[in-house]
This record gives sequence, structure tokens and C-alpha cells, in this order.
Amino acid sequence: MLLKYLPTEPKFKFMKFRMAAFALSLILIVGSIAMVVTRGLNFGIDFVGGVVVEVETPTKVDIGEIRSALSSLDLAGVEVTEIKDNLVAEETDTTIALIKTKAPEATGDEVEAAVQATAAGILTALKSEFGDIEERRKEAVGPKVSGELMQDGIMALVVALSLMLVYIWFRFQWQFSVGAVLALVHDVILTIGMFAVTQFEFNLSTIAALLTIVGYSMNDTVVVYDRVREELRRYKKMSQIDVIDMSVNRTLSRTLLTSGTTLLALISIFLLGGEVLRGFSFAMIWGVVIGTYSSIFIASAILLHTGMRRSTIAGGEAEPDPQGAQV
Amino acid sequence: MLQFPLWKRLLVLGVVMLGAWLCLPNLLNAGQRAGLPGFVPSETVKLGLDLKGGSYLLLEVDPEELQQNKLLELSRDIQRSLIKKPNNVKFRGREVIDGGVRFRVVEPSQVDEAKRRVRELSSPVGGIGGAQSLDISEQNGVMTVKFSNARLEELEVEALEDSIEVVRRRVDGSGTTDPNIQRQGSNRIVLEVPGLDDPTELIELIQRAGVMTVNLVDDAADATQYRVDEPRLGKVKRLDAYTPEEYVVFEDPILTGSDFTSASQGFDENNSPQINFTLNSRGAKAFGEFTTENVGNRFAIVLDGKVVSAANVRTPILSGSGRITGQFTIQEANAIAIVLRAGELPAKLQVVEQRVVGAGLGEDSIRAGTMASAIGLALVAVFMILAYGLWGVFAVVSLAANIMLLVGALSGLGATLTLPGIAGIILTIGMAVDANVLVFERIREENRNGRSPINSIEIGYKQAGSTILDANLTTLIAAAVLFWLGSGPVKGFAVTLGIGIFTSVFTAFVLTRMFMSDWVRTLRPKKLPV
Repeated sequence: MLLKYLPTEPKFKFMKFRMAAFALSLILIVGSIAMVVTRGLNFGIDFVGGVVVEVETPTKVDIGEIRSALSSLDLAGVEVTEIKDNLVAEETDTTIALIKTKAPEATGDEVEAAVQATAAGILTALKSEFGDIEERRKEAVGPKVSGELMQDGIMALVVALSLMLVYIWFRFQWQFSVGAVLALVHDVILTIGMFAVTQFEFNLSTIAALLTIVGYSMNDTVVVYDRVREELRRYKKMSQIDVIDMSVNRTLSRTLLTSGTTLLALISIFLLGGEVLRGFSFAMIWGVVIGTYSSIFIASAILLHTGMRRSTIAGGEAEPDPQGAQV
Repeated sequence: MLQFPLWKRLLVLGVVMLGAWLCLPNLLNAGQRAGLPGFVPSETVKLGLDLKGGSYLLLEVDPEELQQNKLLELSRDIQRSLIKKPNNVKFRGREVIDGGVRFRVVEPSQVDEAKRRVRELSSPVGGIGGAQSLDISEQNGVMTVKFSNARLEELEVEALEDSIEVVRRRVDGSGTTDPNIQRQGSNRIVLEVPGLDDPTELIELIQRAGVMTVNLVDDAADATQYRVDEPRLGKVKRLDAYTPEEYVVFEDPILTGSDFTSASQGFDENNSPQINFTLNSRGAKAFGEFTTENVGNRFAIVLDGKVVSAANVRTPILSGSGRITGQFTIQEANAIAIVLRAGELPAKLQVVEQRVVGAGLGEDSIRAGTMASAIGLALVAVFMILAYGLWGVFAVVSLAANIMLLVGALSGLGATLTLPGIAGIILTIGMAVDANVLVFERIREENRNGRSPINSIEIGYKQAGSTILDANLTTLIAAAVLFWLGSGPVKGFAVTLGIGIFTSVFTAFVLTRMFMSDWVRTLRPKKLPV
């Protein structure tokens, strides 16, 4: 069994590197924000309004031909990309193209109608050029709805983070909840930064991914925190830094195994789950890696700096450790 | 922790069997399902529009147009009330402006009478004790009547409910299968139509105002003297919907849409499409009187401002039924009949969001989702067995039960599975083993600290319990927030993720524990395998 090679109790001195980790995270956070400000995010139509049309042409065509077929429509910032159904697919004799365009310039209620008309216009133009195309997907989101979706998305993140803060406060103490939420904010910022770097589309399912990352990272953090609390009760004389290092080490194999299985599942979605889920699974993969890192180096390490008090934790009965002699 | 009395064992088994039972219909095809006896569940997982293909439309009632329409109505009511004899109030310059109706009372002595009459039109919103429906103000004889905020809110709600009914009747009339129509917020309607991959015609049908009138045509009038939508001397110009012909019609309608009780598309003797209709008693009486007095004259049937048909009265029509013939196609005749039956919209409906998925993409998504699930599951299973050996097998069996329970729960609850929902299942597969791993690692540790295998397992489960609870509750919080704020496909993700948390805690913490308990008590291993 592979586990034989994974030591039950490694003795890594994680906390020794916490200042380096803080510095690294700070650089990454500043970098992420800078990327978002300078490059911006590639928002999907969910958030900025516009039209997405996915068509399959009856024969193989060049993306350039599709682009030129649409040139007469005078679309605002049109993007045409070819879609590979999954990343390991074989060659086909048709072309699947994704056409994305922003909401046309207009005011008030007219823009809502104009967005809907744009979708119809694109299909008409393509049909006259390529004949019997298959309409695989058509989405037209007006600016009113997209504005609300953006608000809802931000709201969902804020609400989720606040609930986590309250939950950890309630279950542990505020020093823990500060660390946990800082780690979550760290994860969210770095994930958004990654979207700015890769320019993957940022849409509703990205928000779903962000919330799931928050849930996953929290899950990881709670496992370590639980252990910290337990060991703090048990080893009343050990220094905080050693208790935290020990807790992280004792949960390390679980952390790695769970991240491993989750990553396996996610990689499978990323490679085989099709275009629609690609952004989502990409965000999740990155988030799982970041979330695992932040649970150890942010959430746990911050406990050393928020002045957690043993007095409020040490209520539980202390169990004698079988290896107590070591301590 | 390792005691499993018979009743507990049966309970666990019962839950797993129930999952399998609810899961069962998903493995059969439609024909086999139809042949099942009544006691067997036949509900399968409902597929979302993104998987089976179909159209999602978000419609919005235009609040400004709604207010405008209602103000025009109010304006007419005020006029009717003021001109009532005796003591009719003389007034000038009645107009709808700035969200209100404004007019000037000519005689200052009549101002109080005018106020009294307008106030009679006002009523408490939501029954006795509510705020008045009209705000009335007067300055130097100029009166302004507006809807109160309470009334505006009420109007919006009423308009939305009426619109939903009209949309439902129109969609049903169009022969669409299984549409789902829902109210969203204070002024929106969600319309989902599975299997419809081109909603263009449906949108046209829904967006028709559906205002139908029958008007007398003044064939003597000179059409060039009149303009469309600008009535003069009680007459107005109307264009033909299909031909270049123009008509001058009297503004006051003989019949309105509400006089029609039924309408259907049929064929005349030349096999051209026509619309058969019947009128209610008021309509029949009015139409009978009109046709008696106007033999030889023409009348026009006007739908949303365009003449769809014009005909001469040959003989009086007293039966209260008739037919409309014209230059329309079968589809058009059918659409007109549907709109006539369904009634008119209180205000324009605007499409603010449209999402259409073709069947092809849906099938591809299902295939990709199934493939990704199968590979993901296989990878996780191999990984767990390689890592934990026999214990890994326990975890994988639990994982299989977990997926069965999850699919069973989705079927039983009638939840909708979307593509992100499939991602939720795969993610559950990855994360479900977490609870197992937490316990296994704890057992390993206790064992290493010198406890006996049975003791380690006992303590391992006990110690890991609260951690598992805490860890999963946080993910549940995330899923709940997503469910609350997400829409459509994202909601589907929240559902599978949420249900997945319950099923995976159950299978990992209860089912695997039962396996472990049986294993350790029957084989009494001296040493743990890991």
C-alpha cells in the first residue's frame, strides 16, 4: 500500500517559513490585484451583457470565414473562437464556433431589444453564408439582468464569507475566525487574479467555483483548527508554534490525500467535461491547490499573531498522550 | 462507536436500499418505465435545459408602459365621471403628463365638486383601512391626479399576475409541451420550454400586446387627411397588416378583446385559413345591433393597431359567432386565434434574458459529463485502493452507495440536474472520500500511538466525528448561499453539492464504519493493514 511510504507523523517545521509564506502571499495578492486592474477580467455576458452564439457548421470551415461572414453586422467587439468538444477529442468534419459579442450601444429599453435582435442577426448572417448550421447555444443577456447577476455574485461571496466568519467564531473563538476568513479572502483574490492572468472567461459558474473553493478551503482549515484546539488542550506546556506545527503535521497525510482525490476528479472534468465546465474546473483546480496552501500557511500561521488564548480553549479534559515522554 | 445492533444495521441497509430503489428508474428506458407497476417509482432525475436542450426566457413587464396605460384608463374614467349630469363639471386640457392626469376646472365654484367626483374613483388599497389609491392635488383650478405608491405597487403585482396568465394561455395555445412559467421578483416572468431550440416565433407570440378591437370603417373619408395613432374628430387611420391598403376607422370600438369568448383557427370553403370566434352575450348584443344598423358598411378587425381583416356587413349577425378571413397564413391565423383567446397584456413584455441550448449541445454535455464522472470515479477508486488496500475497498463501496443515494435523492426530490450539477456530483466523488480519509488517518495515528486495532478504530471514529461535522457544515454553508442567490444551472450545482454532503457524511461515517466494525470484529486483526 502506498500509504506505507507516507509517514504518519512527519516533522516539518512549517511555521518557521511563515514569514516567507506571508511575504509570498502578499506579493501574489498585490500581483493579482495589479493584474485585475491592468489587464482586467474577461467577463462573460452573464456580467456585462451581450450575446453568445455557438454553432456547428455542416462542413469544416475556417474561423476566419465565420468572422468575415459577420463583418457586415457591425457588432461591438466580436470574438470568434473554435471549440474542441473535449481536450482529448479526435478530428471531426464539422466546425464548432463560439461567437461572443458585447451589448450594442443604445440607451434605456432599446438596448434590451437590441441585444435580443443581435442574437437573431448573427444566426441569420451565418445561415445565409454556410447554409444549414446547427444552433447549439444562443444566449442573450440584457444589461439590466447582467448588472443584477454581478451584484448577486458579489453579494453571494460576501454573505458566504460572513457566514464562515460567524460559524468559526461560534465554534472556536474570534482569533480563529480572523485567520480562517483572511485565508479565504486570500484564496478568492488569488483565484480572481488567476482569471486575470489566463483571461479565462469570468462568469456565473466562476462565482459558483469561487464559493466552492471557499467551502473547500474552509473545510481544510477547520480540520487543522480542530486539531490545533485538541492539541492545545492536551499539551498545555508546549509552545504555540510547536503545537501548530504538530497539528499541521498530524493532519498532513489527510490534507494531501483529500486534495489528491479532489484534484483527480477535477482534472477529469477539466479534460473531459466539455467547454462549458472548463473555466469552472480550472478555477477549482487552482482553488484546491491555493486553499490547501492557505489553510497551512495563512489560516494556521495567523493564529500565532492574533494572540489566541489557551484559557478559553482549555476547558476540555486533557488526555494523556501515550508518547507524552517526548514532550 | 462500533456497536451496530440489528435495528441500526437494518436502518442503514434500509436507507441504502431506498436510494437504490429511487435510483432504479434512471437505469431503464422510457418504455420499460411505462411498464412498471404503480408501486415502483418512475421518477427519473429531471434534466435541466442545458442538458436536454430548450429555451429559457426572462420576461419583464415594462413598468413605465404599465403606468402609462393605466393613466390613460384613469383619464377616461375621470372624463366619464366629470361629464355625468346633473351638475356636470366643465373642464379643459385633460392630458396624461408627468406620471399623472392633469386638467383645468373652468368654473372655480366647481373645483370642490370636481374633487368630490375624482375622490369617488379612489379606493383604499388592499381593502378598508389601506392607503387611498389616488393622490389628488389642486392649484388654481388645475387638478393633478396620480396613483399613490401603494396603488402603483398593487398595479405592478396585478399586472404581473395577469401577464403570467396571458403568457400561460398563449404558450399552452401554441402547443408547446411542458412549459414552466414562474414569477420572479416583482415584475419578471421566467419561461422555460424544454426541447424548443428556436424560440423566435414563441417570443413574437408572447410579445403581442393582443389588443383587439372591431371598428366601423368610414369609407367616405379621405385617408390622406388622417394619421395613424393620432385620432381626429373621433376617427383614426389604420394600416392593413398584409396589404398596402389604408383605412379610416371610427375610434370607438364596436367590440373589444374581452367580448370574445373563444377563437380557433379553421378553414373556409376555399381551404384558406380563417379564424372562427364566438362572442359573449354583451358582445353578441352589440355586434347584432351594429350589423343590423350597418348593412352594406365595412368593419375592420384591428389587432395591435393593424387591420388584420376588413369585411362588409351583408346581413345582420345575431348569432354571436362569426369568422374572420383575410390575407394571413395558417400560422398567422393560429397566432391571432391564440392571442384572441388568451386576452391582452396589461403592458409590453420585454425579453431581458434569453438562453437557448440545442439538443446537440445537450447530448454532448451529457456525454461529456458521464464520461468525466466515470473517469473521475475510477481514478478516485484506484487511488483509494492503492492508498488503503482493504480499507480503500470499503471506502469505494461506500462511495458507490453514496452516488446511488445522491442520484436517488435527486430523483425522489424531483430536483433538476444541470451540467454544473454533474460537476457537483464529480466534486462530491472527490470530496466524499474526505470523511473516510479523516477517519482512516486518525485510526492510523491512534494505532501508531500504541492502541490496539479495535481500540484505534473506536477512538478514530470518535475523534474524527466533530471534525467531519465542522468541515462539512462549512461546505454546506457555501452550497446554501449558492442555492439562495444562484440561478438556473448554478442552482443545480448547489443542489447536488448540498445533497452530496449529506449522503457522503452518511456513507463515510455510518456505512464505512459498519464495514470496519464487521471486519475488525470478525477477523480480529492483530495489526492494521496500513
